[in-house]
This record gives sequence, C-alpha cells and structure tokens, in this order.
Amino acid sequence: MMDRNYLPWWRLDNAAKIFPSTSSAHDSKVFRFFCELEEDVEPAALQTALDKTMEQFPIYRCVLRRGWFWYYLEESPLPALVRPEQLPPCFPIYPSPRRSLLFRVLYYRRRISLEVYHVLSDGAGALDFLRVLVYEYLYIRHSDDNLSANCVPVLGISDQQKEADSFQKYYEKPARRFGLSPSAYQIPGNRLPKNQLAILEGKISVKELLACARARKVTITELLTAVLLRSIYEGMPVRSRKKPVVVTVPVNLRNYFPSFSSRNFFAIIHVGYDFSKNSTDLEAVLDQVKRSFQEKLTVEKLKTHVDSLCALEHNFLARIAPLPLKDVVLRYANRIAARAATVSFSNVGKLSMPEGSEKYIRQFGVLTCAGCLQACSVSFEDSFVITFASPYRSRETERIFFQELSRLGLDVTLTTNIEKEVEQNAVL
Amino acid sequence: MLFCEQCRVHVKGALHRCPLCQSPLSGTQEENVYPVLLPAKRTMRMFLRLAALATVVVAVICSAVNFSLPQTGWWSVLVIAALASTWLVLGVTVHKRGSPMKAIVWQLGVISVTTFLWDVFTGFAGWSLDFVLPIFIPCAQLAAFIVAMALCLRPAEYLFCMTFCILAGFLPLLPLLCGAIGIIYPSVICVGISLVALAGLLLFKGRELKDDAVRRLHL
Repeated sequence: MMDRNYLPWWRLDNAAKIFPSTSSAHDSKVFRFFCELEEDVEPAALQTALDKTMEQFPIYRCVLRRGWFWYYLEESPLPALVRPEQLPPCFPIYPSPRRSLLFRVLYYRRRISLEVYHVLSDGAGALDFLRVLVYEYLYIRHSDDNLSANCVPVLGISDQQKEADSFQKYYEKPARRFGLSPSAYQIPGNRLPKNQLAILEGKISVKELLACARARKVTITELLTAVLLRSIYEGMPVRSRKKPVVVTVPVNLRNYFPSFSSRNFFAIIHVGYDFSKNSTDLEAVLDQVKRSFQEKLTVEKLKTHVDSLCALEHNFLARIAPLPLKDVVLRYANRIAARAATVSFSNVGKLSMPEGSEKYIRQFGVLTCAGCLQACSVSFEDSFVITFASPYRSRETERIFFQELSRLGLDVTLTTNIEKEVEQNAVL
Repeated sequence: MLFCEQCRVHVKGALHRCPLCQSPLSGTQEENVYPVLLPAKRTMRMFLRLAALATVVVAVICSAVNFSLPQTGWWSVLVIAALASTWLVLGVTVHKRGSPMKAIVWQLGVISVTTFLWDVFTGFAGWSLDFVLPIFIPCAQLAAFIVAMALCLRPAEYLFCMTFCILAGFLPLLPLLCGAIGIIYPSVICVGISLVALAGLLLFKGRELKDDAVRRLHL
C-alpha cells in the first residue's frame, strides 16, 4: 500500500538538468509526437487508454519542483487527462503558474498528440509511451479484432529499468578537457508574433527515400542532413558564407549503451560544413556528412562526450551552487552553446507497432520547439514524416529543402498549420 | 488532395496557397489537420493593466498637486510608497497564485518587511514590532495550516512553507531580548504559539520533514 505521507522523488538526469533553467515562452523545450489514425479519435476510449498507460510509466506521474541546489521530480496526485487540442503546438509546460504534470495528451480529429517536457524524457522514451497509449487505445476500440493484450509494446521492462538514469550508469570520470566550438551561421529573421510555431510536415515514401539514399551509398539521415545543409546555404546572404553551417543531431544512446530507460538518454553531435572552403555540390556535402557521422558515431567518441557532460554535473562547485545562481549560469551557457549550431535535425528512426494494429494507423510524426529552426523525422511502415518547426516568419529553408527533395524525384505531401496562423493574425 | 504545380508537391488540408511558394493550388481541399485556435481571453491581465494605469494616474496627479503646493509638506511621497507597497503585495500574490502555500510565505515576507519599513520611515514609534508583526505572523501560520488541511495537501507539498512560517514566529524574540519592544505581550504570545507549533510539527511530521529536507537539499 502506498504511504500517503511519502512521495517518491527522482533526481533529474544529466541532460534534463539544463532544461528547467533554459526553458521560456519562445523556447519551451516541449516536443510533440503525434499519431494519425484512420478514424476520428474517441476521447473516452483515449482516456481509458491513458489511465492504463500511466500504470506502466510511473515516472510520468510527476511534477517538477525546485530544490535549493537542483530541480527534482516528485510524484504527484494530479490526474492525467486527455484534452482536445486548443493550445498552440508545443505550448510551454514549465514554468507555468499552476503546477502540472510534465506532459499532455491531446486529440484533434484523427490525431493523438503527446507533448512532453524534455525534463521528463527524450524522444525515444516518449515514443515508448505513445506506442503503448496508441496500442491500448486501439485495443479498446477494436476489441472484436484479434489484437492481443500481451502485445503491448514495452511489456517485460521493469519500472526500475524505465526510471533508470542511464547517464549515471555509464559515467566515468574523464581527463580534463576544455574548449568551445566555433560559432556557426545563424539563420536571421523576424519571429512570428506571440511565440507561435510554424509547422511544416513533409511525408515521403520510405521505399523511395531509401532507394534515393542507397543510390548515393548513404543512409537516410545522412542524405537529409546534407540536403538540409545545402538548403541553408542557398538561403545564406553572401557576407555570412564564411561561417560554417552546423546541424546538431541528437543521438539515441540506447543504441550504443544498453538501456531501457524512458527518461533522457541522448547526446548531441555537431555535423558542420564550411561552404566557403568546400564544393557546394550535394555529392561533396554528402561525402563529408557521411565521414562526420562515421567519425562521431563511435562508442568511444560518444562515451567521451557523455563523460565530459556528466563531469560538469559532478563538479563539486557546480553542485553546491544555489539553484538561482545555477539558473543564471545555465541560461548564459545555453546561449553560448546555441551559437555553435545553425539548425537541429533529429531522426527518431523507424518505429514499429505490434502486429495487427498497423492497419488502423496512417502515420506517426514528431516536432519540437527549441527557439530556432528544428527538423524532426520518424518513419512508420512506408511513411517517412519530416517536420519543420520554426519560430520565424520566413520559411525559405523549408521551401528550398522540400523543393530539393522534389527535384531528387521524391513525392512529397505537405501538411501545415501556417495558413491557420495567418488567418488568425488577420482576425486578431 | 491539393497539388502545387510550381514546387511539384502534394498538400493536405484546407489551404488556398502553397505553403512553400504561395502559388495557388490545384485539386480538392480536405479537412484541417491542425485546429483553428481561438485567442485566449485574458481578463486578469487586462484588469491588472488597467489597475496599473490607474495607479500611475493617481501617482502623477498627487505629485503634480504636491509640487504645486509645496507648503503642504511632502505627502505625495507617502501616497506613492503606499501604492508601491500595495503593488508589491498584489504582485507576489498574482505571481504565486498557482501555489497558495508559497503565496502565504511570500506575503508573510513582503508584508512584514514593508510594515517594518513603514514604521521606520514614519518616525519609528515601534507599532510594527509591538503589534503588527507579532499578530500577523501567527495569522499567517494559521492560514498555512488551514490551506494545507482544506486542500488536503501532502506533507511534501506544505511542510517547507509551514516550517518557514513557524520559524518566522521566532523573529519577535530578537527585539524582545534586545529590549526594543514597548508592549511585550503580543510578542511573547507569538513566540509561545510558534514554540508549540514547532513542537507539534516535529512530533507529528518529523520523519516527513527529514524526507523533505533530503530531497530539497540534495546535491
């Protein structure tokens, strides 16, 4: 039986420690996964599915609190409720005047959206939650079909495995190493009013995309990264071209270090290209991107990177600094770190659903809000969905990117919230 | 499905123009994929802005009148200080509106300090130390207790604020021992109540208090 007087609590993991200090209205550090079904969503069934899913993910039942030295997660009796989508995408979850759970489940027509505050989980962790939620929902809605209750995606992984802080598990004290990355080109432009986010989703056939990548002997991530680098270059003013264009790519560390954690466990690698010194052909860019990925995506390199990040957190002075001071320092450090990147591209990869449930699902998608242009992608069955979320008025990078994909012979289907935003602004 | 001839891309939803190149689209429109969002009504924000404007108007008029009639003394300074104090208390209340326990702690701090400062800058007759603080602090303790009970808060949600209010109750001890207080009864009662409250807290919620300290102070 649960002791009402004792609330379980969790330290934040290494990656999560920076998010509460640096999130704001225009950089909410909230990301969204959505699942588009073949039918309209039924809210009551979704609520029942959410209740069942919550039982499997105890850490999702928590709020963020301020300690004297660090923020921490604390279990909360607040109910997790599904809501119709009425807020702008990736609306801030923390700080907020009212204490709330660190995620929300929304529905609109055929779409179920899961918005998660990055403190709680990274993309891979949240995806497990969404897969269970969607499966539970389909299981309730199609009980006559032969969906099995024993096929729930993350069955067999204990609560402790899901709550584990894998950064701590793999951390070893590194040798001292300092150094700042050179500053990268920043896309200039005016922001949309009221911290709005312009979303542009492009759906491509996985088969076509894979064929296109294989013809160039690269992976899908490498191909899209290279196209993205070139799209930014095309939109660059000539006087800025001496600066490198840098794409940050989050890497799911679960693929390199065994972990079943549904919390944060990722690292970020920087893939840059200096167009002033190198050829601007796609082939040349692809070649270097491929080499960068091969160099940086090794267990040793990632381990060094993670160790140096964790070392900061384990530094005695950093630990005893009071939280308000940490807030200021982290906000400043975040601003400096942001200068080293132009844009971010996160390919969550291929996602699967238990057999029998696929036919009810059209596509999955993912988008994130982090204060600058962000691209995220996920693939399910034959649909590869790449989503741009931009706080800027100009959408030149996205235009060049999708036109380039179309020129490569790919069939792109776009979805957007943009026209809605324009209409609203006209009304307001 | 819609189609843009210029960009050679398909477009889903109920759009009129291509989201990439803004040229007209061919084909048939479909249902929206993203909802049309209605602007949030912010009555509270509007009210606060109006109140702030009214405050500025009052402050300016008082200053202007006072400046024109210098023989009446510098009373406009008091008016402006009073307005500022009111806004300070209102500000922390609005800022902490989501968490009543925190609001109590902040009000306790802000009101105590401003009261003391008012006393100091209006001739230091000692009324703040004699009466206001020793009466106000137990009231805040009672309010914290009532809020915690009424909202059925868990110990982790109220213990820290409650402890803060109780410890604040020992502050009148300082002027009491220094002999800076004229009428000592309110202060003695305040310290007495706080001692009893502290004993109750430690006896009934000692373990929870320790748990709370561990999580709040973890390094």
